[in-house]
Amino acid sequence: MNFGIVRTVVAKELRETLRDRRTLIIMLVVPIFLYPALLIVVEQLALFGQRQLEEAPASVVAQGAGAEALAILRSDSSLIVATGREATPEAVLRGEMDLLLRFDAPGGPEQPRRVELFYDGSRDRSLRARALVAARLDEFADTLLARRLSVRGLPGSFAEPLTVADSSVASAERLGGYALGRFLPMILILMTLLGAFYPAIDLSAGEKERATLETLLTTPVPAREIVAGKFITVTVIALCAAILNLASMLLTFQFAAFQFGGAIDIQFSLPASTILLVVLFLVPLAVLFAAIFLGMALRTQSFKEAQNTLTPVQLASMIPMMLPLIPGIPFSYAVAVVPIGGVALLFRELMSGSAPMGPSLLALGTTIMYAALALRFAASSFGREDVLFGTGAADASASRRKLGERLADWRRGGRTLPRPAESLAFVAVVALLYFYLGITIQIRAGEVGLLVSQVVLLALPALAFAFAGPFDARSTLALRIPSSAGVGAALLVILGGIPVGWFLAWVQGFFLEIPAEFLTALEELVRAESTGELLWLFLLVAVTPAICEELVFRGALLQGLRNGMTMSRAVLLSSAVFGAFHLSTETVIRFLPSAWLGLLLAIVAWRTRSIFPAMMMHMVNNGIIIAFVAWPALGERVVSPDGEPFWPLIPIGILLLLVGVRALPRPDPFE
Amino acid sequence: MIVFDSLTKRYGEVAAVDRLTLQVGRGEVYALLGANGAGKTTALRCLATLLVPSSGSTAVDGYDSSAAPLEVRRRLGFLSASMGLYARLTPREVLEYFGALQGMAQAALSSRVEELLSRFEIDAFADRLCGTLSTGQRQRVSIARAIVHDPPALVLDEPTLGLDVLSGETIHTFVAESRERGRAVLFSTHTMSEVELLADRVGIIAGGRLVAEGSIAEILAQGDDVSLSRAFLKIVRGTA
Repeated sequence: MNFGIVRTVVAKELRETLRDRRTLIIMLVVPIFLYPALLIVVEQLALFGQRQLEEAPASVVAQGAGAEALAILRSDSSLIVATGREATPEAVLRGEMDLLLRFDAPGGPEQPRRVELFYDGSRDRSLRARALVAARLDEFADTLLARRLSVRGLPGSFAEPLTVADSSVASAERLGGYALGRFLPMILILMTLLGAFYPAIDLSAGEKERATLETLLTTPVPAREIVAGKFITVTVIALCAAILNLASMLLTFQFAAFQFGGAIDIQFSLPASTILLVVLFLVPLAVLFAAIFLGMALRTQSFKEAQNTLTPVQLASMIPMMLPLIPGIPFSYAVAVVPIGGVALLFRELMSGSAPMGPSLLALGTTIMYAALALRFAASSFGREDVLFGTGAADASASRRKLGERLADWRRGGRTLPRPAESLAFVAVVALLYFYLGITIQIRAGEVGLLVSQVVLLALPALAFAFAGPFDARSTLALRIPSSAGVGAALLVILGGIPVGWFLAWVQGFFLEIPAEFLTALEELVRAESTGELLWLFLLVAVTPAICEELVFRGALLQGLRNGMTMSRAVLLSSAVFGAFHLSTETVIRFLPSAWLGLLLAIVAWRTRSIFPAMMMHMVNNGIIIAFVAWPALGERVVSPDGEPFWPLIPIGILLLLVGVRALPRPDPFE
Repeated sequence: MIVFDSLTKRYGEVAAVDRLTLQVGRGEVYALLGANGAGKTTALRCLATLLVPSSGSTAVDGYDSSAAPLEVRRRLGFLSASMGLYARLTPREVLEYFGALQGMAQAALSSRVEELLSRFEIDAFADRLCGTLSTGQRQRVSIARAIVHDPPALVLDEPTLGLDVLSGETIHTFVAESRERGRAVLFSTHTMSEVELLADRVGIIAGGRLVAEGSIAEILAQGDDVSLSRAFLKIVRGTA
């Protein structure tokens, strides 16, 4: 790597970028002016609204109030109290008054009195009237209580058997750090992302659109040095944007705290060491965003196309950024590895002054790893002619044709197998349908719904994809009769793989807790009181997924990936997709065991080039769960109630697995 | 100086360039004539190392474009009508940037930049952003950019496309000068008058293949016509 050339590229890119209005706005104008302006606007609006409310007194109608209660209510000049008997709660709704009080008729002198308040919770004025009246009623209650105590000759302290005096031990700085840690990480990471967004597009797709990339690539500079220069530029700009935002936000909050004076005991400042650490951890994050955006934008042909391509990534990145906003999420090892989210939570901990060493280092390490992968992705695209000039004029003209014509063309182009992108797109559509429709069907129709959703939303689309697409359906779904040796090897692989899967799930249990709701739902599903119910359960949990899920994942998906990927990549990707398909809204614990099962199934399906051994393995795997339900004593012998596997099974499992994998057809005779 | 040896470039089943063989010597101007989509730009991009040949090879000054792409780029000045300039840099900054990427030393680069600014009359707008320049001014900057490292070989892909007569004249003068300085010049064009004015030899490319080659007189003879345009059409249509 010639660093002199990289420096030249960086200097030129920075100079050019700093002359770009969009980048300047994101990098300088937003941080310098946005936060102070927001503070002033919000403050002024709040004051204006408060003044509006205070200028007009709240109109209240009190029914059944005695003279004393009326006097106390009327002592508040912000209230206009009438005593109309005809008023109804509907009148409050119509806005004819802000609040209606209904006092019950007084009982004896020591009987409790009851008063009902009717207000409109969707109207500010009505809510304010409620607050004002509640304060007056408290005063009235105190008066009544004091009178009762006086009648009995009791001291005022009699009614206060316990006095609670609470005080937060957190210092003003710590409180400020806690408050900042809630939302500052999100804004900071968002600004890093936005800081990288436009320069990445401008320096890649923008260069292509302006036809300067071709000029650049005629110079005697290796592509890696050009991409390094561009990448450093985007990273530097993203970091500068983040640091300027951090500084501006801290100054604005400090100014706000100063304005409020002693009204709030909180200080929005961070120690220099914390700021330094935050900036340090921002570096790999900026690298990650720069590399992802640059790598993706390079694959597009225009600024607009790049924006369209990158916007979904930008939106998806915002989800993990919000983790610190959710109360109660601990900064554990498990969340530390979540891309972006781990660093966001780390920032929260740093700002609160208590970042644990282990998860912090893990968050840093994994972010560096993600950044390195993204960088490799960016570098791989640069200099490639299809990336530089597109895939040819034929594709450009194809994009201008109508969807129907393109679909007809697609169907005419006969191929043995789908392309990886086609298979992935198919699985994405199926997964979305299953998520939205499948859950609805299962909620409405219970166990039958589960069966129907598997057949209708998984198996039928897979068959439709294979038979209606321009592929050989038998190859696409790997509908090939396997050899008996292949079936035997598959059986060994699953029998060996299952105990290893238990072990993985047990290890995972140290990092991820199994939610009680998840266990309850599972127990509900796999309950069987009779032989008939057990058979139904076997059909529902073992047979149906073995057929339907295999058609999608080891059929349409894996066979498409086979058409353009190495075995290791295709197997890993398909198992990750299979694991992700089993994620639910409550928990992520199913990802690892499912991905492990997916891995075994994919290896076997790849080697045997048949979906049937994978179906059998899937059925065996799920069937064992049913067996544990039917014979609980058996289940407890191999896996203890706290998830610990019966240890002698693990080496046996590994041995079976190795023998099984070795016995699979190799080399693949069809490759 | 410039060699195409049975160069083939395929996109799937389609051969954009099909076994193209030609040579351009020092001090020679070679015009590559062809209709749109004939394969001219693809062939020139292969030579400039922007595209990887499917088979065959190209070379500049003895360096193979696939085996030693950086050496080829050091010896080649590439200018295309479709190549842009950095709109947010000034002409001076553009020349300094490309000179630095060519590995020129600072002192030599500074004097070379001043020489080119003066030679192509860029001085007057040397410190204005390229985005504010006229098409003719931008073309002069592009020429200067292409030869900032004083390459022995020049490739010009439809260099006068979209230019007015005055700007076109600048290109013609530049090509003639380059020949006098001993550069090998390979240019593609649709304009017959340009070929007649500049070219020492002409190659006609159709469907990715070189269908005719020779001096203008030889092309006219092969096309059996006194007009180069008509001779070109006859050769391309296979009626000559």
